[in-house]
Amino acid sequence: MNEATQPRRPTWLAGSAGGPRLARHTLTLVALALLLMPLADLSVITRDPWSELGRMLRGLAWPDFTAVESPFQALGLTVAVALWGTLAGVVLGFPLALAFARSRLVRAGCAFVRAIHELFWALLFLQVFGLSALTALAALAIPYAGIFAKVYAEILEQTPRAAAEALPPGVGRLSRFLYAELPLAWERPAAYTRYRFECGLRASVLLGFVGLPTLGFQLETAFREGRYPEAGALLWCFYLLIAALPWWSHRRLIPLLLVGGAFLLGPWPAVDGGLLWRFLSQDLWPAPLLDGEAAELVNWLARIPELGPAIGHTLLLGLLGTVGALLVALTLWPLASRHFGTPATRLAGRGLLVFLRSTPELMLAFVFLLLLGPSMLPAWLALALHNGALIAFLAARHADGLTPGMPGLPASGRLAYELLPRIYPGVLALLYYRAEVILRETAILGMLGVATLGYYIDEHFQYLMFDVAFFLLLITAGLNIAVDTLSRRLRPREVPLEDPCLR
Amino acid sequence: MRWIAASAVALALFAQAAAADTFRFTAIPDEDQSRLIERFSKVADYLEARLEVEVEYVPVKSYGAAVTAFRNDQVQLAWFGGLSGVQARRLVPGSRALAQGAEDAEFKSYFIAHASTGLEPADELPEAIEGKSFTFGSKTSTSGRLMPEHFLRQRFDAAPEALFSRVGFSGDHSRTIALVEAGTYELGAVNYAVWEAAVEDGRVDTDRVEVIWSTPSYPDYQWTLRGDADERFGDGFTEAVREALLAMDDPELLDSFPRSAFIPADNAMYAPIEDVAEDLGLLR
Repeated sequence: MNEATQPRRPTWLAGSAGGPRLARHTLTLVALALLLMPLADLSVITRDPWSELGRMLRGLAWPDFTAVESPFQALGLTVAVALWGTLAGVVLGFPLALAFARSRLVRAGCAFVRAIHELFWALLFLQVFGLSALTALAALAIPYAGIFAKVYAEILEQTPRAAAEALPPGVGRLSRFLYAELPLAWERPAAYTRYRFECGLRASVLLGFVGLPTLGFQLETAFREGRYPEAGALLWCFYLLIAALPWWSHRRLIPLLLVGGAFLLGPWPAVDGGLLWRFLSQDLWPAPLLDGEAAELVNWLARIPELGPAIGHTLLLGLLGTVGALLVALTLWPLASRHFGTPATRLAGRGLLVFLRSTPELMLAFVFLLLLGPSMLPAWLALALHNGALIAFLAARHADGLTPGMPGLPASGRLAYELLPRIYPGVLALLYYRAEVILRETAILGMLGVATLGYYIDEHFQYLMFDVAFFLLLITAGLNIAVDTLSRRLRPREVPLEDPCLR
Repeated sequence: MRWIAASAVALALFAQAAAADTFRFTAIPDEDQSRLIERFSKVADYLEARLEVEVEYVPVKSYGAAVTAFRNDQVQLAWFGGLSGVQARRLVPGSRALAQGAEDAEFKSYFIAHASTGLEPADELPEAIEGKSFTFGSKTSTSGRLMPEHFLRQRFDAAPEALFSRVGFSGDHSRTIALVEAGTYELGAVNYAVWEAAVEDGRVDTDRVEVIWSTPSYPDYQWTLRGDADERFGDGFTEAVREALLAMDDPELLDSFPRSAFIPADNAMYAPIEDVAEDLGLLR
């Protein structure tokens, strides 16, 4: 058999260059999702959702601002919690970033605190600090510290070495950082912190879902009880808050907001050492383990919900959500990019993206639940749309920074030959980063009856069996760390991460 | 730097103001929570006038949060459901059920069905519910989960997951009604008081969803006070709280619960709830 007759693999399958690799990754992901899809319960059961959906739409179209109980307090508190939570995350995360590259312990610790969703942190702190500002701040600050440590460390790693190498030998870590690294890297941590603040705002709203009096508190209740004009009013407040972010979060206004926010935060709990100790030393651990009764411990383990299916559902929903987010992002980003459409369509596109990425997933999921019936489908759509919109927003911003080199191409050509190839590595890198976030978010969609790990965690918090909840949280964290490691290994390395917000 | 220092000072001052000996209470969020703070603040004002201590209402978002707040002494008095009350009294030895609503001695749940199921009201749960989809309310609700599940198991001798094609937890009673009305779930179990209030207000389309069965009666909601209340607020405080609750007769206040009056209750009344919860593995 000679060379010529040998079946040749298409270049996209064989090539080791960036392009073929990206294509292989994408196609493998999509194929995997298609292959596993039959395992997911995606049936559509609808009867007459239209009257309820009509009421929702009317509520959104004709919001009733007078029905909201003290909206300014709720808005103010939402901003205050996000701001102080992010700031506390920076304060805790920065020193960790300096030790990040050298200490395995710091890396593992950061990965662990990142791996647990803000809502679950809030549920943990709730047991000790009650419904207080401390619970809210800690629930944001602790996972954010882990995230900041990692991202700041990665940014510092990429700062040019020349300045640091010019320093005399024996200069301490802190001095090297202050004089040779920080000045060079300053812009990017700052940009990332601003982006994280927007995430903080969304998380701050979510904290209302567990009872802290941010916007989410009234939003969840109004929505749950079908008072849609009130829910619509609250949602509009939040959309406007997010859309107007670039104006009101100006650097000079931040100190003012911080001081003002400090007065809104509260009530502060009297921290009770006894409660904290009881929670840490007893509540979190299985009673038989503390009493040293091996036989009882077996019983305890037997009562844990079946982990196999729970982990399976979690991973499956995570995978489907990730692939769905990719498809949504690829469809939506041109709508908000300056290279396409008219100013009017761009405004509408940006509005749509703000709408999708600011509406809490739980709410999107509930709308789909009504529309499609109980299955994994509503959770999947909610994850895909929310995260897809977020990636699309960042992709559009990335594309807006590019200048097409071939004038006169029609829009489709500009998309296919110029812009998409240039932004796609970034989109995929971002998707790999998001995969971990999506996996974390599957947890909070458990309430739809999709039996993910998060469903059982929430259930055991409700039953006040904190030992089981904590055990399941540890498993969730382990799973998230594994997925994060995998996706870091897979993500396109050649992508110049010039925009830290692409994570 | 200056503003960091300034705000730290502001924060410290603020933290100081929060600590004072106030009598706090909460109520489980089981249905209409609109203007919750406004409505329950009136109850707080009433108790404040009767008890001559500062009284504050603490809003919570879930049954679990209400129990935790009670356990951690962040509230001293709470309006609990049957199961959450049992959970709370187990966690805080010495705490006592003081009063229940006049309706709570003989509480019941309704099983509701979407019209497309063709199920008719009956004295017994029909066999035909097997294989349909079903939603409970909150996972730890007595009337939306515990007792309905108990009666289902009694009737069919099977777990709900084995009986129905799908089992959901809507989160609360109003949402159960909305989901069954929309046909998302074919059947649901709901607190009878919430159902009747919803029907009265015209919030339900009874052409599309109707009651097919009513459970036998069981004890439900009650006011529970911590055992150390006398120690903290003075001798006879427990009795004073009980009397204040029993004497509440302003319809505007009673509507917040919604009950017609409060009657005396004690811990022993809730033993049946405790037994059922243990059987179902919700308590240990």
